[in-house]
Amino acid sequence: MAVWFLRGLRRGVITTRYPKAIDSWTASLPTPPAFDARRLTPAVADRLVDVCPSGALIRDYEWLVLDLGACTACGRCIAVSRGVARSSGAFELSTTERGRLIKRIRLRDDVR
Amino acid sequence: MQSLFGRSLHIRTIDTGSCAVCESEIRLLAAPHYDLHRLGFFFTPSPRHADLLLVTGPAVRAFDQAVKKTYLAMPEPKIVVAVGACPLGGVYSEDAFVHGSLEEVLPVDVFIPGCPPSPLALLQGLLVAVGRLAEKVDALSFVDDEAGTGEW
Repeated sequence: MAVWFLRGLRRGVITTRYPKAIDSWTASLPTPPAFDARRLTPAVADRLVDVCPSGALIRDYEWLVLDLGACTACGRCIAVSRGVARSSGAFELSTTERGRLIKRIRLRDDVR
Repeated sequence: MQSLFGRSLHIRTIDTGSCAVCESEIRLLAAPHYDLHRLGFFFTPSPRHADLLLVTGPAVRAFDQAVKKTYLAMPEPKIVVAVGACPLGGVYSEDAFVHGSLEEVLPVDVFIPGCPPSPLALLQGLLVAVGRLAEKVDALSFVDDEAGTGEW
């Protein structure tokens, strides 16, 4: 018999808290990209926008717009960015407002 | 919300043209590792018994009537959760066959991004939907250097 069932009978609480512990394997989940702003030039941004298959990356003048709702975490931007983009590791991205999933990232004109 | 549903919430899932990977992840929620029943969530085969509607797929226009009927058949109060990149407008843009975004058809309460969202992301989304867990996405900038973060 499940332990939670017996515990529920004893304490009168039928549900448990979440999360009980963080799963270590979640580090290997495909996740949306995070960017190194110091190396994110317009040329790099354009390459990332070109390679994005789901329209999650859009160039807005001096901004790179990342739509987490549209991102499929395919990893193509990470593959072509030569280290400018990396996997963010963030996957619990649920929100009650669609706008919160849209992140604007400032581009750099000069490579330092 | 907790008092409304009395620590128990029934979920109806509806597929509006999804590739079935989101369904696969939703099905995994009931597996012992994730075990959503311990948190008081249950799946129901009828919208009449459901408090929460989990919608996957890019809102195919051929599904409009089925989606609206399902929504109307649910008793108040009800929550609509959009699951995956498709209903959030990511993979398919609006055309003759799909709405592209579920918001065109139903009032969406919670958005769960991912292609597909992992069962842990789904659990977080369900707990955000019932107000038992805070959102995290606002605090994330997706930029390594703080100087590059835009005003938002």
